[in-house]
Amino acid sequence: MVEITIRKRQREDAVITQRKFFKKTARGKVIKVIRERYLRDDVVCGIEGCRECSHTTDTLLPRNGSPDHKSFPNGHYVLPDTNVFLAQMDLMESSLFTSPIILLQTVLEEVRHRSLPLYNRLKALVNMDDKRTWIFYNEFRSETAVVREEGETPNDRNDRGIRKGTAWYNSHISLTRPTIRGQPPPTLPTVVLLTDDVANRQKAEKEGIPSLSVRKYVEGMPNNSQLLDLLSAESDTIEPTVAAGGRGPLYPEYLSSGTLTAGIKAGELHQGHFNANTFNYLEGSVAVPAFTKKVLLVGRENMNRAVDGDIVVVEVFPEKDWKAPADEVVDQEVTLRNDDAEDSEEEADNDEVIAEERKALRSEEAARRAAERQPTGRVVGIIKRNWRAYVCHIDSSSLTSSNTTSISQQTVFATPVSRLLPRIRMRTRQAPTLIGQKILVTIDKWDVHSRYPEGHFVRALGKAESKEAEQESLLLEFDVPYRPFGKAILDCLPPEGDQWVVPPKSELGPAWRDREDLRHLNICSIDPPNCQDIDDALHATRLPNGNIEAGVHIADVSHFVLPDNPMDSEAASRGTTVYLVDKRIDMLPALLGTNLCSLRPFVERLAFSVIWELSPEAEIVNVRFTKSVIASKFAFEYTEAQRRIDDAKQTDDLTESIRLLNTMAKKLRAGRMAAGALNLASPEVKIHLDSSESSDPIDVEQKALVETNSLVEEFMLLANISVAQKIQDAFPQTAVLRRHLPPPPTNFEKLQDILKKRRGLSLDVSSSGALAASLDKCLDPGEPAFNTLVRIMATRCMLSAEYFCSGSVSKDTFGHYGLASPIYTHFTSPIRRYADVLAHRQLAAAIAHVPLHASLHSKAHVERVLGGVNRRHRMAQMAGRASVEFYVGLALQGRVARAAQTHAGRVTQEAFVIRTFRNGLNVFVSKLGIEGLVMFKRETQFDADDYTLTIPSADGGAGATIAVFDKVVVSIDVEKDRNTQRGKVKMALVSPVDSVGL
Amino acid sequence: MAFKSLSKSEKAYIQASLQSNSSLRGDGRSLQEYRTISLETGVAPLANGSARLNIGKNDAEAGGGTEILAAVKLEVEDIEHGERVDQGRVTCSVSCSPAAYPLASSGGLDDLQHDYSTFLDDILSHPSITPANLGIVRGKKAWLLALDLVVLSDSGNVYDAMFMAARAAIWDTKVPRTRSVEYRAQKKQEGDMDVDEEKQSGLDTRQVKAATDFELEDYWDEGIPLVGREAWPICVTLNLLSSLHFLDATSQEEAATPLRLLLVYSVASKSTPALQGMQLLGSGEVDVAQIKKLIQDGEKHASQLLAAINLKLRDEEVRLTDKARLKFASVR
Repeated sequence: MVEITIRKRQREDAVITQRKFFKKTARGKVIKVIRERYLRDDVVCGIEGCRECSHTTDTLLPRNGSPDHKSFPNGHYVLPDTNVFLAQMDLMESSLFTSPIILLQTVLEEVRHRSLPLYNRLKALVNMDDKRTWIFYNEFRSETAVVREEGETPNDRNDRGIRKGTAWYNSHISLTRPTIRGQPPPTLPTVVLLTDDVANRQKAEKEGIPSLSVRKYVEGMPNNSQLLDLLSAESDTIEPTVAAGGRGPLYPEYLSSGTLTAGIKAGELHQGHFNANTFNYLEGSVAVPAFTKKVLLVGRENMNRAVDGDIVVVEVFPEKDWKAPADEVVDQEVTLRNDDAEDSEEEADNDEVIAEERKALRSEEAARRAAERQPTGRVVGIIKRNWRAYVCHIDSSSLTSSNTTSISQQTVFATPVSRLLPRIRMRTRQAPTLIGQKILVTIDKWDVHSRYPEGHFVRALGKAESKEAEQESLLLEFDVPYRPFGKAILDCLPPEGDQWVVPPKSELGPAWRDREDLRHLNICSIDPPNCQDIDDALHATRLPNGNIEAGVHIADVSHFVLPDNPMDSEAASRGTTVYLVDKRIDMLPALLGTNLCSLRPFVERLAFSVIWELSPEAEIVNVRFTKSVIASKFAFEYTEAQRRIDDAKQTDDLTESIRLLNTMAKKLRAGRMAAGALNLASPEVKIHLDSSESSDPIDVEQKALVETNSLVEEFMLLANISVAQKIQDAFPQTAVLRRHLPPPPTNFEKLQDILKKRRGLSLDVSSSGALAASLDKCLDPGEPAFNTLVRIMATRCMLSAEYFCSGSVSKDTFGHYGLASPIYTHFTSPIRRYADVLAHRQLAAAIAHVPLHASLHSKAHVERVLGGVNRRHRMAQMAGRASVEFYVGLALQGRVARAAQTHAGRVTQEAFVIRTFRNGLNVFVSKLGIEGLVMFKRETQFDADDYTLTIPSADGGAGATIAVFDKVVVSIDVEKDRNTQRGKVKMALVSPVDSVGL
Repeated sequence: MAFKSLSKSEKAYIQASLQSNSSLRGDGRSLQEYRTISLETGVAPLANGSARLNIGKNDAEAGGGTEILAAVKLEVEDIEHGERVDQGRVTCSVSCSPAAYPLASSGGLDDLQHDYSTFLDDILSHPSITPANLGIVRGKKAWLLALDLVVLSDSGNVYDAMFMAARAAIWDTKVPRTRSVEYRAQKKQEGDMDVDEEKQSGLDTRQVKAATDFELEDYWDEGIPLVGREAWPICVTLNLLSSLHFLDATSQEEAATPLRLLLVYSVASKSTPALQGMQLLGSGEVDVAQIKKLIQDGEKHASQLLAAINLKLRDEEVRLTDKARLKFASVR
């Protein structure tokens, strides 16, 4: 008989063994939670060769600690307090910080409790190869466990636990290495408590526990000058707080988080993302659901230390205080030129700067029109900071002149590359070497007393304007993961490597299971020049019954990328391949992307095919989906394919196939347009690179489109739509779809008004079809580019398309506005987009090829992945655009230099005015696809209601009136900002009025 | 509510021996003596306060006696909707284990539970003894103190036992620390010259709407004891048999007693007990003059009983906190 023993704990032990706490649920209930704790005596210390503890792992702390610190010649370990990880994570992560770290469970849990992102970084740090870290579960070891005393705060209790852990380690080391008779006493390493909490340090000293502040500790380390820069501003006790304290807070304090939630719940406060204004650093806006228009924030006090991207809480003023957005360009660099970084001196300048800012604000205020007033408010709290490392330049003028070469610590301004961010004040010892470099800076805090946020230096990226630094800074700025693929990921590739081929046909082989043999078809691919990742190929033939069979064949990525392995997770987190002008950051390892999955010509490849039977009018009679094996007969470039179609002499099967595709595509397109699809425009330019090695841009030109571009596009759209229907039918809850919400009509108000007043044109935005029709009517016989310009401006009024999980939104919002399709997904580029990989898996399951992986049955999982992919997608687009901008800048530089040589003087281009300000114009140069600002220093007459600006001519004559949509000629110059090394495109008006000197 | 069926001669025997000169009782107690009371608090870790009480446990038989389990659960309640009081409230319910009344039909058990619940709820939910710290956010949210009692077994004097268990559970209850937060919209700036603003009507009852919520303080302990827990009432049941009365009747004695007088006293510290409730059970008769006398006697008994309970409760508090901590310290 089995003997049952009941091991029951005494209830008296509850105080030790149970931790009780209350939790408030989202619905406002309070529940009591009890956690059990079992104490044991065999939690190991993690020090190599300890005779008491039996270790099973081999990643241990060295027996004698680290001998590098000058205060601890006998070797030491550091035991950091929670505040070290909360404030100095960059220091701890630095590869120069090599001391062995003992991480207490108490610390780990406290970090998790305080900040999840920091906790994730801490976990990554523990697993880093070049760090020696040991997690000690002190709460579970009977000697080091602590019980809360009566009236003790959790914080005090944790501090006590950390001190106790430190004391235990020190005694443990001395107990396990006793002096052996006849031998000299062993040298014992010290365990040092690292904390910036003064009270904790004092208590530790009283108890005889060695402890140091982070700054003191780092000062004693070998390479301290680099490490000291990494210290976050938070530990700067040297900061001259007297000066700051004397002048009173510049900003109102934030409300407590509880008050904020209460206010939001009652609908009196509003939560949203803070967006800084590109043109005016003293203005920002927050989109909140309660108002159709964004809530405007005017002035520093009202923006109250919010940084672009933060989730903030705003309070909206009563309606009579509402304002209209500014119509003036206010440049931070100009207004704040004289500002000084050193705190003490700043005080003197302070009033002056504030007065200047006030002036800037006031002059605007008078001009604000009542008609355009929108909700106005102020930031009263921050829900979540979205601070990350920012790419910056050091502002050379903020260096004190006597210090330009000294290596003493000084305070400087770092100007972020992005115009949306404020300058960051930081302290560094390396200022002279950092001038002219791109550096990475994180914001640590933003005090009520400090006009600017304070941050610290993370690392240098390299010389500004150098390609490598620019490229890396671009990737960092847009948060693109660009590390090479790790070993675990590469291990997921087929072991044959690039020797992999489709195995010979057999019914039994796993590769051929349920696959159709389509090798005999005349399949070809049509892509841009030099395309390496070919993910689609097409074919078409006439059927005996007069209908046409058309097929789209997509690289079968899901055959190689299996769900839930390291390669899959990496691809999911990268989300998309990022294309820069001179570099491609792959989502999948190159072996797959450019070889095994790429549908190269003349080799057999696995594919996922969508095959339609189309009527001669291009209506779908029938569609089927199948996994297949294909052999592409040729890889065309767009222009090459176009030539084949146009050349009547070519009558081979392949050419006929393309011709057939082309005719069908035209019909498909006509059908789509009739259904109300939009023909949108975005400025696309092409950068000519000198050669593949030097990658110096020679010139820029607008991309030319040929018929074959739209041939491929039409069939891809058709495939995407067919697949979307299929997977939505099969998995109504979790299908991966893509949608484009119709834009709210208010977005178009301004454009409609401009069009009406300036050109007498009207824009009907009631539906996508109506919009398409009215866009077609926006013509200027004298100016063919006008239509494109209106299209570009209309595109900017729209929302962006997004991936979504079909179960998480209501069915009537599935539609794709731009394509006028009720349902849509992305299926055709699985090599470079992760959403397509998911769609492939779902389609494969829908045709019963493989069962669907469990994760794709979970709505929450799909939502989470797609949320990440959406973000990456957005970032990738912005990174690509920024890369083009950079190269346009370089190309312009070349042009300007050439123009100077050939005494042509300056580079001029035609441009269109797209926005008027009180003191400037925003112009769009369509030839270069760039936008620029033309600023005037002289008085101008501005008519905001009519969108015109009258500029006096240089001799004080009548001058010229310029309105939105007017064609002007601008001269373009690239000027390097002397202080920030930021290459800036500078434009000036040449015609109708020469604005040089205005 | 006599479930013990007793024959006439048994009743007569018990009555006669109680009324005899030396007042004999079946277990040898004197008339004003209680059986052994054992009390333990903190028995339900997930409740906000709990207690288990036993009267007359017979160690030799490893059981018996009247046993009550009491537990307090605090729930957050919106008080803006509905006719709730401003400062939180108390509800009380009693359920009887069928094992305690094996002879009762299920309908009878329900009736019994209902009777108990009504009596306790009437007295305990009275605003005069509602603890003062049950409010969370004034006029918005408050704690609802739900006191649940389970009668595990009944061998007489169940009312006294229930009140004692309730008192112990209330004593053990800790209210989580909360901090109310509120957000008030900015008042209109003074001195604004809004001439054509509508005149405020004197009948305007719209209030300044303040957004309010609360948060839990970051504290690991269970909270603060209820304010006014000392005044929580206890009950003394006087079993009346012609001119004499006796305390803590066993079930046989209850069956033989024609009339029982329940007296509920609330003793605010040091002052004389205040009568909080009173009920007569049974078919006998008693006149007013006699009741007055009985109330005075009851006060005396209540004070004594209370002193004993308070002593034990303080003891329990020490046991659950300090002693455990000392024990933990000595183990290491």
